[in-house]
Amino acid sequence: MSGPGVRRTTWAALRARRRALGRLAAWSAVEALPALLGGVLVARAVDRGFLAGQFATGLAWLGGLALAVLVGAAATGQVYRSLGAVVEPFRDELATRVVHGALREATRAGGRADSAAVARLTHQVEVVRDTFGGLLLVVRGFLFAAGAALLGLLALAPLLAGAVAAPLAVGLAVFGASLPAMVTHQRAQVTAGERLGRSAASALAGHRDVVACGARERVVSAVDGRVAAQADAERTLARMAALRSLSIGVGSWLPVAVLLLAAPWLVRQGLSAGAVLGALVYVTTGLQPALHAVVQGVGGGGLRYAVTLGRILRTSPPDDPPPAAATAADPGGPPPAGTRAAPRTAAPAGGWAVELRGLTFRYGPQARPVLADLTLTVAAGEHLAVVGPSGAGKSTLAALVAGLVTPDSGSAHLAGVPVAGTPPDALARLRVLVPQEAYVRSGSLGDNLRYLRPDADDATVLAAVHALGAGALVNRLGGLDAALDPAALSAGERQLVAAARAYLAPASLVILDEATCHLDPTLEATVERAFARRGGTLVVIAHRISSATRARRVLVLDGDRPLAGTHDELLARSPTYRELVGYWEDAPPPARVPLSRA
Amino acid sequence: MGAPTGSDRLLRRVVRDGGGWTVLLGAVALTGAAAELALPAALGLAVDAAVGGDGSLRWPAAACGLVAVLMVTDVLADVASGYGAARATARLRRRLLRHLFACDVRTVRRYPVGDLVGRLAGQAADAGQAGTAVVLGVVALLPPVGSVVALTLLEPLLGVTLLGGLALLAVLMRTFVTDASAAVAGYQRVLGVLAGRLLEALGGARTIAAAATVERERDRVLAALPELRGYGQLGWRLLARASARTAAVGPLLQVAVVAVGGYALTAGWLSPGQLVAAVQYAALGAGLGAVLATLNRLVRSRAAAGRIAEPLAHPVRPDGTEPLPPGRGELRLRGVGVRAEDGRPVLDGIDLTVPAGAMVAVVGRSGAGKSTLAAVAGRLHDPDVGEVLLDGVPLRRLSPPALRRAVGHAFDRPVLVGETVHDAVGLGLPAGSAPPPDGAAPATAAVLTAARAAQVADVVARLPEGFRTRLVDAPFSGGEAQRLGLARAFPAERLLVLDDATSSLDTATEHRIARAVAAGARGRTRLVVTHRATTAAAADLVAWLDGGRLRAVAPHRRLWADPAYRAVFAPDGATR
Repeated sequence: MSGPGVRRTTWAALRARRRALGRLAAWSAVEALPALLGGVLVARAVDRGFLAGQFATGLAWLGGLALAVLVGAAATGQVYRSLGAVVEPFRDELATRVVHGALREATRAGGRADSAAVARLTHQVEVVRDTFGGLLLVVRGFLFAAGAALLGLLALAPLLAGAVAAPLAVGLAVFGASLPAMVTHQRAQVTAGERLGRSAASALAGHRDVVACGARERVVSAVDGRVAAQADAERTLARMAALRSLSIGVGSWLPVAVLLLAAPWLVRQGLSAGAVLGALVYVTTGLQPALHAVVQGVGGGGLRYAVTLGRILRTSPPDDPPPAAATAADPGGPPPAGTRAAPRTAAPAGGWAVELRGLTFRYGPQARPVLADLTLTVAAGEHLAVVGPSGAGKSTLAALVAGLVTPDSGSAHLAGVPVAGTPPDALARLRVLVPQEAYVRSGSLGDNLRYLRPDADDATVLAAVHALGAGALVNRLGGLDAALDPAALSAGERQLVAAARAYLAPASLVILDEATCHLDPTLEATVERAFARRGGTLVVIAHRISSATRARRVLVLDGDRPLAGTHDELLARSPTYRELVGYWEDAPPPARVPLSRA
Repeated sequence: MGAPTGSDRLLRRVVRDGGGWTVLLGAVALTGAAAELALPAALGLAVDAAVGGDGSLRWPAAACGLVAVLMVTDVLADVASGYGAARATARLRRRLLRHLFACDVRTVRRYPVGDLVGRLAGQAADAGQAGTAVVLGVVALLPPVGSVVALTLLEPLLGVTLLGGLALLAVLMRTFVTDASAAVAGYQRVLGVLAGRLLEALGGARTIAAAATVERERDRVLAALPELRGYGQLGWRLLARASARTAAVGPLLQVAVVAVGGYALTAGWLSPGQLVAAVQYAALGAGLGAVLATLNRLVRSRAAAGRIAEPLAHPVRPDGTEPLPPGRGELRLRGVGVRAEDGRPVLDGIDLTVPAGAMVAVVGRSGAGKSTLAAVAGRLHDPDVGEVLLDGVPLRRLSPPALRRAVGHAFDRPVLVGETVHDAVGLGLPAGSAPPPDGAAPATAAVLTAARAAQVADVVARLPEGFRTRLVDAPFSGGEAQRLGLARAFPAERLLVLDDATSSLDTATEHRIARAVAAGARGRTRLVVTHRATTAAAADLVAWLDGGRLRAVAPHRRLWADPAYRAVFAPDGATR
């Protein structure tokens, strides 16, 4: 459960900011001055001034109180400043943690880019920031104000102080005891709300589909269930709110009752009228508002704080020990288990650029493998196209070769280096992967193009741009130094930028994973031919079958029987390939791109 | 129908929906307010009795009784307002949900999904508070207003002092609101920059992972953090200034009341007990500002009710009752016309017969009305004029179960609905075969057959838990989703309407699916919207739509001679 994590994180955040907290406490003490002196000064003003017929004397005592109020108010300002010094660094810490966590999860092997992290950053972190500040404010406010009121009571009538403190303690105890349950219920309510939102979003996004399937009743009743669960959670929270009110009642109203019932007796013992009045001032203007604020503050914002922080901590765990530590231990050590399964064959003169041995990958232990026992070699300088129906595992193959996912068994080597166990930056020097979804970030066009090779001069960058037929795009955008708004580019333009970036990369192996699917066929051919001429090895995961006709060798993936060969060999041997090519060629004109072999 | 009247009527209904809880809340809140107003007076009398040496416990006991009443009413008010709001909110949500699903596709499509979810989840909760807000809004006025009156009755000067102080407080609060907005706006802007960069980096996760540039990206996102902190601290400074002012005004107000009361005490106009009462009334009266918050809640409830009343105002689509007569799925459109919201014709005078068991391709440029034709062919909505008949019966006279058993729809971008992949494929199936089976079987027979025909069974088998994989854990590509959408439509018995439903598939897969569809023993009628010439060529007839009218109905071979027809299939609609 997130409870201990929340407590530990909160505690650490406070301890790290001890000095700011010290300032906060000092100013809080000053702020409590009117609460400390209020009752006593009112008592004196009444006893020695107003009741004694000396209005000026009474006014003087009240003037003292007004002064204390002004000093306290000035301190209140300082309290907020000190609070900012505690809260802002904590927000920085959490934001950093969310960003770290999201990027780590998005880029780890088999990880997922979860856009919910953006909501965590903009919404949840902000909720924690606000509620953390609020929580600190009410808790320390209560401690100082209640402490001051009790001290003041002690000075007025020591017996009364005890009689008032007892119900206050009971009220706080009732509240404290119910807090863990309140946190649980609050969390349940948040979860119920999210479930309702998700289920409603899914049902309404699919309104057309639901109507088309005649599944109205089923879907509506599924959402109904969430509505009922949410109402249940709300009712539970209402009961919790009642419990809170009860603890406020016990803690703040019982002292008044005690005071009233004891007053006649105390007056007979010699307590002055002013002192009775002062005691009432302490209870009703000191204790009551402070207790009210802390119970409502902790019960409202405090619960939201605990639940939201717990959620952030769960979704953005602290950094793991860097994986580099594990991999640095065996740079040239024995290859990891599984590589031994298939013997490695002798390499050609230039060496194997890619060497896959018995590669198997599946999404879960129960799942059928996406790739089973795949063995494939690509010689240095070769140009290979991978084709197959959608869902045949083409992109998985690209990810395995690039080392973005880990195979269940088998091995992959790039230029003789085992992919498993090689640190990511070393892999990045060996190969460059261009995925379908092109990454273009806001900044200058030049920065985007130099992403993988920061030291490239303008001439080199422009040469790459022209080789890929992106000159017109660069001109339109206003040159290399022009600022770029990624959202203003079309999907094809983004792919062109990503391709030029990869063209510049120092790595010799280039893997295009449907990286040109949004380009028109002519531009796609230009890009692929440029990469083929670039030198080094080229693997193209093909979106259109025309990519296969430009490659020296083709790998057909379909179900469990991968098959490699030249275009002609595959036409003869692979029914799937025939199907892919055949139906393409059967298509009536206009086929604007001639299917001639490159 | 005007929105304001609709929202007020809805608001009244919400208040009624709170039922007994709203009544209880009203009773409890009134009792509490009365006790709150009586308490200072009782306290004052009790103090006077004590100070005066009167040994009687009458007034102290009375004050204690009032305290007890206050404690009980506070607790009951919490329960009553929470339970009442929960009930009203749930009823409102159910009503909106049922209404939306009783409306046709065209009506609901006008609203973005996020907007509707916002209304259902967010604004329904706000509107559900209406009962509480009305009751508390009215009752919350009583103690502060009553206090000002009581104070003025005790001593007019005291009432004037309190009102003057409150006015000062209101002015100070207002200045703070204008001051802080600049800091808040700056903060939000920088936060937006941070979020934007994070979103960019998440979108490029694969590139970043491959390039091993995670740390560079992280630093880039977090580079805006110092600026964010700057704006944050500016906000705290502004808050500090404002709260210093308000922290002074409230207590000074009470000191002023004590001073004025003290003068009255010296002059003998007040007793010490009355001074106690005055201090208490002053504190209650200072709560007038908080009352504005409850009024605010009422305003919010009303605005939310307006947002909910809007979709509720659309008329629902009447369901038919007739069963389907025997037949093999002949589809006829007679004089079908559909208009857009702005009155522009989308379909105009369409007369088309799709013979039983035949495949008719619907082609045309973007905006020619193809999807609208597909939608009326399966009664996703009714045409504005004309009639659509399946085996001689108008679709609007068919009972919903009969209609859905007969007609299946598949879409360009299907939305998969349900918990698991199995649920998504089984959406249109009877309750017996829709959810995953209890035993070890991967799927029910109906779901498995449909998935195989749509060439998607292999894709599902590779998921971590096969058909039981949760949809949120299975990010499907466009082509995979299309195949699941096809599988979902497959069990339909007489007519399949495929609206560009294979556009993301490679040609090999598309052909395999077409074979499976055609080979069905039942020989269903097919209406296929397409952009591909290959698909049109495979159809028995092509219906060529142009600007909402039927330009020709003929085999593809015959139409192909016409350059205008060929231009329909050119990429991006380019003419040459």
